[in-house]
This record gives sequence, structure tokens and C-alpha cells, in this order.
Amino acid sequence: MRVFQPAMRISLLWCCAGLLLGIVVLIQLKLEQHSGGRIAKLEQLRLLPRGEVLRPALLGYHHVGADFLWLRVVQVLGDRVVRDQDYEWLYHALDVITTLDPKYVYAYEAGGTVLAELAARVDLSNQLLEKGLAPNPNSWQIPFKLGFNHFFHLNNYRRAADYLAQAARVPGEFPIGPPLYTARLAARLYAQGNNPDVALEFLAGMLDQTTDEKIRGQLMRRIKRVSLERDLQMLERAVQQFVETRDTRPPSLAKLVEAGLLAQIPHEPYGGEYRLDSATGDVTSSTHSERMRVYRSSDSMASEGDPE
Amino acid sequence: MIARILSISLNSFRENLREKLLYNLLIFALLMIGSSILLSRITIGDYHRLILDIGLASINLFGVLIAIFVGIGLVSKEIDRKTIYTIVSKPIPRYAFLLGKYFGLVITLLANTAVMVLGLLVVLYVMDVPITGLFFQSIGLIFLELMVITAVALLFSTFTSSTLSAIFTLGIYVIGHMSGDLKELAKKLDEISQAIINVVYYVLPNLERFNLKGHVIHGLDFGASDMALTISYGLTYAGLLLLLAGIIFQRRDFQ
Amino acid sequence: MATSTIILKTEALRKTFKVGFWGRQVTALEGLDLEVRQGEVFGFLGPNGAGKTTTLKILMGLIYPTSGQAWLFGKPIGDRDSKARLGFLPESPYFYDYLTGAEFLRFYGDLFGLSVSVVNRRIGELLELVGMTHARDLQLRKFSKGMLQRIGIAQALINDPELVVLDEPMSGLDPIGRKEIRDLILRLKEEGKTIFFSSHILHDAEMLCDRVSILVKGRLVAMGRVSDLIGADSTHSIEVLVEGLGSDGLAQVKPLTEKVTVTGDRALLILKGQQSVNEVLERIRTAKAKLISLTPHNSSLEDLFIRQVREQRGEE
Ligand SMILES: Nc1ncnc2c1ncn2[C@@H]1O[C@H](COP(=O)(O)OP(=O)(O)OP(=O)(O)O)[C@@H](O)[C@H]1O
Ligand SMILES: [Mg+2]
Repeated sequence: MRVFQPAMRISLLWCCAGLLLGIVVLIQLKLEQHSGGRIAKLEQLRLLPRGEVLRPALLGYHHVGADFLWLRVVQVLGDRVVRDQDYEWLYHALDVITTLDPKYVYAYEAGGTVLAELAARVDLSNQLLEKGLAPNPNSWQIPFKLGFNHFFHLNNYRRAADYLAQAARVPGEFPIGPPLYTARLAARLYAQGNNPDVALEFLAGMLDQTTDEKIRGQLMRRIKRVSLERDLQMLERAVQQFVETRDTRPPSLAKLVEAGLLAQIPHEPYGGEYRLDSATGDVTSSTHSERMRVYRSSDSMASEGDPE
Repeated sequence: MIARILSISLNSFRENLREKLLYNLLIFALLMIGSSILLSRITIGDYHRLILDIGLASINLFGVLIAIFVGIGLVSKEIDRKTIYTIVSKPIPRYAFLLGKYFGLVITLLANTAVMVLGLLVVLYVMDVPITGLFFQSIGLIFLELMVITAVALLFSTFTSSTLSAIFTLGIYVIGHMSGDLKELAKKLDEISQAIINVVYYVLPNLERFNLKGHVIHGLDFGASDMALTISYGLTYAGLLLLLAGIIFQRRDFQ
Repeated sequence: MATSTIILKTEALRKTFKVGFWGRQVTALEGLDLEVRQGEVFGFLGPNGAGKTTTLKILMGLIYPTSGQAWLFGKPIGDRDSKARLGFLPESPYFYDYLTGAEFLRFYGDLFGLSVSVVNRRIGELLELVGMTHARDLQLRKFSKGMLQRIGIAQALINDPELVVLDEPMSGLDPIGRKEIRDLILRLKEEGKTIFFSSHILHDAEMLCDRVSILVKGRLVAMGRVSDLIGADSTHSIEVLVEGLGSDGLAQVKPLTEKVTVTGDRALLILKGQQSVNEVLERIRTAKAKLISLTPHNSSLEDLFIRQVREQRGEE
């Protein structure tokens, strides 16, 4: 201890400093309860100048600018409850980010997914992803996502298959290159776009690439629903075969197994059961009465609403 | 004592006025503010926004530059040039010297900001841009931010060289504007990173709190209670920094 | 005696500096004990790097001692009331060079909390005192080194201090400047002030100081009245130069001298002490020789200083 410094006074001062720090933190906490800042942040994103204007203004730091804006977007997204009409700003912000850094693959990919799955704006999602195709010829994720959009949201199997084929052509091993099943999926899409098995494989692939919990939940719900459809179609085919071979309708689903047409009756994914109307031969689920029309007729390309 | 602190402040102010850097920055700021008129001629659409945007940003940026680059020299220059020897041997406590230097720069910044604001007001008037109360609120908070940054620079300059002080202060300035975003992002990280970022967020100055530029441009209201809280935040924080600087300075040997 | 009040005192003052990246310890002061009495001129002497400036910095509260204590006016250093009674001139001073002479002094007057009228009066007096009236409105950056030293002294006197502490007040000054500073110090002493100054210009110290101390490598090696320090081991010698002494005369004086050197007609006699001077002069007169000069050689502070420094260095 130095001789000329009253130790008491110094420690008292340190206490004061601690006290002030406490006050500072308290005020911060209090300010946080007022959410003014968050609205301002959203407003800033909404009114962001166009990327072409912003880019020169960043004096060569446009990559950092893109990163910074991306952080902002992620943050505002995390705060917000989905409101359908309120996603124009998101598209605008993503557009600015990808203009600042056209090779920001993750921004296209994640942004495209959020726009399509959470915002239900497939049009904007596709617009963004299409923009990313040219500057990123080595990204399989962008065409893969486009394929997904065309398949599930637009029911355009042909375009979906084209995009998947493009994704499959990207060289390299997963995860640099596309997953192995991409090529097979593309081939199957060309052949039988309305087969629920194809849809399920596509969904499983998509699920593999997604980490965001909200979107994974969405995908899993879709998988369940398509599984139900697949089961119903399988059961219907067995009933059909039964009728063709025995010229009589099966009295119950169990008879199909006995006849060797099915290995077993599948579990209904929602915990219900499958029922057979022995008078008409129709198979239904106890939980869902609606059928997914997309997968009914073998050559339909009609986009009749959401498959869910 | 206050008279003595004031005479140190005024001496420091006089010294700052001789800094060429100051005038260069000031002229540059005024040029930028003026150039927004030109820019607004060649843009289509909302030129009010553009002028306010560039004007407020210039005032902020050049204020920060002055605060940092003059602030880091406040104490270290006196020690390097040994002018502090004759002051500390006088019957004034060391903290009074520190406060004197601090307020000297604050006065300098006040004068500078006043000139820049005046320039901007002229431009706004000429271009028929409506001037709101929010505009002055925003200027006030910019000035508060400058006070906090000056205190940061002063704190560093009590124990490191000018160069290191400049780097540290710039670092604090950048982090101070990003810590809010970092905190939000941290929600996606593991516990330890979250804890670290939370400490950074609450302990380092959150300079984004003083940023009302978005409010001004988009005409968003900033309530009186928010304003009061933000002001007390800035003043308390500056006080904390000055206290720490005082404690360190008190223990220091002048070699 | 009123003058024996102790105005400045240090006790076992030690200071070590940490140098370099690894914090190697350098000892600048090793247990310094000093006492300066009221009204005296005290010379704080020592070779370069002895620790003089370090001591003064501790006394002025610029650095803290590693251990030991010091008092000014009977109060531990750092006390604000004592600082108000103090004037300090740092070593090779640097000042606010954008101020004019008058502004500069006013600034320090304000730091002491002096009233405007007092400051104005003091500025006039002090500029006069240090012979700088012409530089009243000149900026300090246009000052020469000697002018800076003078304005620095004026600054140290602005509060009419009882104790004036000067670190190397004569350094950088020409002989005339040094004489003026010497006169100034004597004038201050007449006004009853105590002056404590460091120096390695021994001649000045010898003429001015009531007491001196000699510091070598952070240790005090001597302290006391100049006359006492020199007298303690004085070996006075006297040189006598004569012409035309002749071999007879030479033989006459030789037993009384320590050494004789003959060059042509002249002879240089070196005598041991005062005692034999009269006898020698008597014999020179009887030999009808011509006395050319007689120079008494006092052992000076310089001899003492050099001897002490040598001894101290030899020890290590
Ligand atoms: N800040 C410092 N850091 C490290 N060592 C120091 C420092 N200041 C002084 N010293 C050392 O302490 C010793 C005493 O230095 P000081 O300046 O007191 O000497 P001085 O007697 O004033 O010499 P001079 O006559 O040259 O002015 C020297 O050896 C010096 O190297
Ligand atoms: Mg020295």
C-alpha cells in the first residue's frame, strides 16, 4: 500500500463506481421495456435505400454492410410474430443484402425459405432465389430450394425437376455438392411428379438441410400429411387388386393382409385409424376426411391450392 | 474549486481551438452538410429525408472524430509534454485537473456542434424541410453520446498511450453501437457466449440508445420518459467513466 | 532560533521504478533522509541520475514513494494547504506554448484561487523581477530557453510562496543569466523564503547555499554547511610564484615548502598551510626576489563532490 493514499477513500470510490454501474444497468433494463427501438429498427429496414445506392456509399465495406444488415434482419425476424402482409420489408432488406453481396448464398437460401414457408410469399421467395442463381453457379442450395418451391407451392413438377437437375449438376461432395439423392429425386420427379413417395423423399431431404425449428416443424407437419395420403393410396391400390382378383369387395382391411396384398395395415400418422367402407370400397382416415387432390390423377399438373 | 476547474477547462478549450484538426474536421462537416443540397437535386423522391440523414450523420460522425482524437490527447499530451508537473504541484486535486480537461473538450464540442447544427439549420431552412422538436431531441442525444465518448477517451488516456487510447476508444464506439444487435443474436448461442455478450451489453456503453436519427427521419415519436431515461443513462455513464478515470489518475506516477 | 523550524523533511524515502516489459526494478532512491530549515538556501547536489529529480517529484506529489515518508510544512505531502505555500519549477520546463507570458502567469494564479487584482499585481511584479516585462504579450513558443526558465521561475513565485523548490534552475542559462538567477535566489532569501534547489553546477551552489547535501546513486553521502563539509577534511595549499630567487634563496625557502618547480628564472613554491606563508615571504624579501603571485587554494565543493562520487562508485 502506498503511504500517501488513504486506502479507505479509494475503496469508497470503488464502491461509488460499482453503484453507478448498477444504476447504468438498471436504466438499461428500464429502457429495454420500452420497445421503441425495435420499431425503429424495423422502420430502418423498411426504408433502407436501394442496394445500388447503398453500395457505393459503403466505400468498399459493402460485405460488412451486408453482414450487418443480415444480423438486423435475423434479429427483427426473431422478434416478430408472423403477420402475413408484413413481409414486403423482408424481401426489400434481403434484396438490398444480396445486392451488396451477390454471393451471400446463405441469405438467399435462408431468406428464400422464410419467405416461402413462414411468410407464404412464394412469389417473393422465387424472385429472390432466381436472383441468386446467376452469381452463384456453384451453389446447389439455391436451385434445390427453387425446386422445392415449385414442387410444393406451385405444383409445377416439370420446373421443379429442372431445378433439382440443376442442383444435382453442381460438382463436389455433400455438403459442398448436393446430397446424393438429388439426382434420383430429379429423375423421379420427371417420371411421376404426383407420387407421394417422391414428395416424402423431397421433404426428408429438405428437413435434413433445415435447422430452423419453426420451419422444421412446418416440414414435419407436411411429412405427416403426405404420409397419410401415401397410406391411403396404398390401401386403395390393395382394395383395387382385391376386387380385380376376387370380383368382390373386401369386407375389412384385415382381409387385405390375409390375402397377402399388404404386409400389414400401416399406422395412421395422426394416431387415428384407417377405415374401409365395405359397401363402396372407399378407404378413409378417422382423423382427416379431406384428401390431397394433388396426388390423385396420374397426369394432372393443376395447382389446386396448398397440399395441406 | 469550481473556479479552478473552470480555468483549466478554459485553458484546455483555448488549446483545443489551436488544434488544426478541429478546423479541418469542421470544414469537412460543413461541406458534407452543404453537399446534401446537391445530392437532393439529383435524387428523385424524398429529399427531406436525404438532407436530414446526411446532416445528422455528419454532425454525429465529425463530433465523434473530434471527441476521440482530441480526447485521447487530453491527458497523455500533458504528461508527455510535462506540462502536468506545474499543475499537479499546485493546490488542486488531481480529479479537478481531469474534470477541467474533460469539460474543456466538452465546451469545444459544444461550440463545434453548435456551428454544425447552425449550418444544417440553414440548409434545412433553404430547402424548406420542416424542423421538428424531434430534430433537437436527436441533436441533444448526439451531444450526450459525444460526452460519453469523450469520457471513454479520457479514461483510456489516463493509463495508455495516445495510439492505444484511440484504438480502444474506436473499439468501444463500434461495439457500443453493435452490442444491442449482438445481444439479440446471442439468443441463438450457448449459455456462456450469452453470458459474455450480456456482460458486454450491460457494462459497455450502449451508444445505440443515443441514436434518434431513425426517429427523426421516419417521424417516430420519442416519448418524454424515454428521453429522460436516456439522458440519465448518458450522464450516469459519463459520471462512471470520469470516476474510474479519477481513481486511476490518482494512483498514477507522472514520469 | 526561529530559523530552525523544519519546513521540509523526508524519512527513509525509497523509490523503485519498473522498467521494460518485464518490469525490471531500478532503484532511484534508497532511504533518503533530508531536513530543510526555514529561511535557508539548501542545495541538493548530485551527479546525473543521482535521484534529485525523483526526490523533487515525490515532494511535489507527482509520483508516489515506494516506501518512506515526507512532510512539507509539517504535514504529509499531498496536503493542499502546504501546496498553496509552495512554488515549484520543474526540470527543463515545458509549458503551454500557445499562451502569452501574462496569460501563462494568470492561468497559474487562477489555479491558486488568487483574486484578479492580486494576480494582475503579481504578474507585473514577477515579469519585472525575472526581467521579462518585454515578453508580456509574447507567446511562449517564441521564447528562448533562458526566457522559458525565467517565466518558469516567475510561475513558481506567483503565489508568493514560503518554500521555493527549483529543479536545476541554472541549467541552460548563460553566465549572465546564471548570475541573475543567483541574485534572484539571494533576494528571495532576504525576503525570508526558503529555497530548495537541485543542481550540479557546484560553483553556484557554493556561493549561494547555507547548506548542501550530496546525493549519489540514490544515497545521501554528505549533508551540512558548505564550510563544515569542506573544512572537515580541508587541505589548503598556497601557491607562490617568484622571480629571481637565485639558488641561495631557493635553498633558504625549500625546507618550508612541499614542492618546488623551477622554470628558468621563475620558481613555483607550493606551501602546505597558512603557518609558513609569513616565513616564506620574509625569506623571499631578504633574497630580494620579486613576488609575482600568491594564490591560496581552498579545497572546493567540487573536490569534495568528486571525491565523494569516486568513493561511492569505488565501493560498488
Ligand atoms: N520514470 C522512470 N523510469 C525508470 N527509471 C527512472 C525514471 N525516472 C528516473 N529513473 C531513474 O532513476 C534514477 C534517478 O533519476 P533522476 O531523474 O532522479 O536523476 P537526477 O538526479 O535528476 O539526474 P539529472 O541530474 O540528470 O537530472 C536514474 O537512474 C534514472 O534512470
Ligand atoms: Mg534531474
